[in-house]
Amino acid sequence: MEIVVFTKRVPVTQEEELRILGDGQSVDLSKLPHRMNDWDNYAVEEAVKLIEKGGGGVTSVAIGDSESDEVLRRAIAMGARDGFLLEANEVLQDPFARATLTYNFLKKENMPFDAIFTGVQAEDEQFACFGGILAALLKIPYAAQVIGIDAVEKDHFVVRRELEGGLQERVKVSLPCLLSIQSGINEPRYVSIMGVRKASKVERKVFKASNYTDSGKSLVEITKWVYPPKKEGAAMLAGDVGEICSKLFAILKEKGVYQ
Amino acid sequence: MSDVLSASYVLVVAEVRRGLFEERNLDTIGLGRLLGSPVYLLLPDNASGVDASIVDKVIRVGADEGNFQNPLTMVSILTKVFETRGQPDFILFTHSSSGAECAAYAAGHFSLPVITDVSGFDRPTGTFSKSYYSDKVFAQFKSASSPSILTVRSGSFRDQVTRNQATADTESLGAFTAQEGRTFLDYVEEAGGAVDITKADFLLSVGRGIGSKDEIPRYEELAQTMKAVLSCSRPVVDKLWLPKERQVGTSGKTVKPKVYLAMAISGAFQHIAGMKDADCIIAINKDPEAPIFQYAHFGIVADVNKLRDKLIETAKAS
Ligand SMILES: Cc1cc2nc3c(=O)[nH]c(=O)nc-3n(C[C@H](O)[C@H](O)[C@H](O)COP(=O)(O)OP(=O)(O)OC[C@H]3O[C@@H](n4cnc5c(N)ncnc54)[C@H](O)[C@@H]3O)c2cc1C
Ligand SMILES: Nc1ncnc2c1ncn2[C@@H]1O[C@H](COP(=O)(O)O)[C@@H](O)[C@H]1O
Repeated sequence: MEIVVFTKRVPVTQEEELRILGDGQSVDLSKLPHRMNDWDNYAVEEAVKLIEKGGGGVTSVAIGDSESDEVLRRAIAMGARDGFLLEANEVLQDPFARATLTYNFLKKENMPFDAIFTGVQAEDEQFACFGGILAALLKIPYAAQVIGIDAVEKDHFVVRRELEGGLQERVKVSLPCLLSIQSGINEPRYVSIMGVRKASKVERKVFKASNYTDSGKSLVEITKWVYPPKKEGAAMLAGDVGEICSKLFAILKEKGVYQ
Repeated sequence: MSDVLSASYVLVVAEVRRGLFEERNLDTIGLGRLLGSPVYLLLPDNASGVDASIVDKVIRVGADEGNFQNPLTMVSILTKVFETRGQPDFILFTHSSSGAECAAYAAGHFSLPVITDVSGFDRPTGTFSKSYYSDKVFAQFKSASSPSILTVRSGSFRDQVTRNQATADTESLGAFTAQEGRTFLDYVEEAGGAVDITKADFLLSVGRGIGSKDEIPRYEELAQTMKAVLSCSRPVVDKLWLPKERQVGTSGKTVKPKVYLAMAISGAFQHIAGMKDADCIIAINKDPEAPIFQYAHFGIVADVNKLRDKLIETAKAS
């Protein structure tokens, strides 16, 4: 089975203060560390597990600037055979434009695949829609938030999709298809620095995005970046550790959950 | 026919689970109201509990929910809607597993603009706001053409829902058969566990920021000394640090304790949706800008593992 897995390099923002530049023109991401999108880790693992069992190969594809090579090396260290970079220096904010570019690339390069995996969402942009748009453009079936692949047959998968509140639905999906993979579906293998270094020896191909854009027109655009709407906010407890502890226990007592 | 085709309306695609009309449909309908045009509600035929006075028309589709909430069927259904009622100005889905799945597929199929996880609308500029980086910043989006497809964040627009004098007319759209490429088989319920976090008065909830599985025993100890029940965010379950039954959020449990003490949880909306109705929320995070502080009643900026040790010590001393 040939599986194409999309892997995105994203900034790590959890512990960072993000600054909006100018009059809302952009967000300063320049000093942030980056890594592979967490959801894509699970997608790569799931693809590699499938080919380890049934044979075939995994190709990891990233769309981004040359730095994105980093996630390709990681995917290769996890067991992908190839890493392709679709090099675009500008960030495509419109998910439709990004999916169209990818569609043109897959078609023009005649990429063979039985299945395409993406993550459920990118940690940074959180659109959760790249895979769905791409699947429709390719005219192949799509299933999102896959939390289990229960059966792998010649012409179809049986997968479990995660819904809300602990409910799942089982669906049968014909191949070729596109699945978006949910976190927790597997335990992504550990990748050592040595492993990544070894993966660097495997050649990664670079394709220029400009060869695959047709109109280049975006259907949606960002007019402005803004900070979150401020709600009332929390009353902050300050002081040294001891003082904070006593204040916290006082609140717990007042709420009647601690004696 | 021509005035049918120039009709202006907002199409709201309902989400229905096991026959029940999901509450988050109120947010799509609420945004529909804000957008100003008549709101048409697209419903699978097995839906119940629908208040037809909050929309202007109901379109019943001859498909049950398993087939309706299938992206492949959805594009055929939408094709039929466009042919018979003209194209709407907006097509709204819930930002949920099935809503986002169908929205993306429809955008690709019809080459339409799509903006997901919409939580705000600014009428003067006609822009929609969407979260980035787990609510650390928001982008205001403009769509270049119509109809636009939007998925709507749960909890964002339900207070915009208004009631008409009369209940809306119901029309039917005809039957849609199951698709070859993807078929619904059945629902599976995740196995329950020994602990029911929804019953607890005091939840001590830990997030990815605690660092590693090795920290868990000390949080169990803290929970025990404070007589709290331990719960967690999703990554903690994904990494197998705690079992799934402990997870709070849209894909876990919805809890409403007297006190929810969140330690090293950033406050993504999928988490917030599961605990925002707690009587008292206390958040501890080392990042003063963590979105969870917007929802908390009390906040502490600190390293959780250090504070945890001090809390255990203090509790044991008293
Ligand atoms: C379809 C879908 C469903 C989902 N369902 C759920 C759900 O049900 N529940 C859920 O929780 N999530 C859910 N998520 C995931 C959600 O989007 C977030 O990724 C998740 O909630 C983040 O968990 P976290 O806050 O523990 O981790 P992070 O976002 O990584 O945050 C960690 C926090 O810890 C802080 N921190 C780090 N170190 C320290 C320290 N030493 N001391 C103090 N603070 C520290 C950081 O500043 C940061 O704020 C879902 C996502 C999707 C796409
Ligand atoms: N620039 C990119 N490069 C590689 N994969 C991407 C890119 N953007 C999106 N994806 C894939 O699509 C998934 C969903 O992204 P999104 O729809 O942007 O939230 C991600 O988890 C990736 O697998």
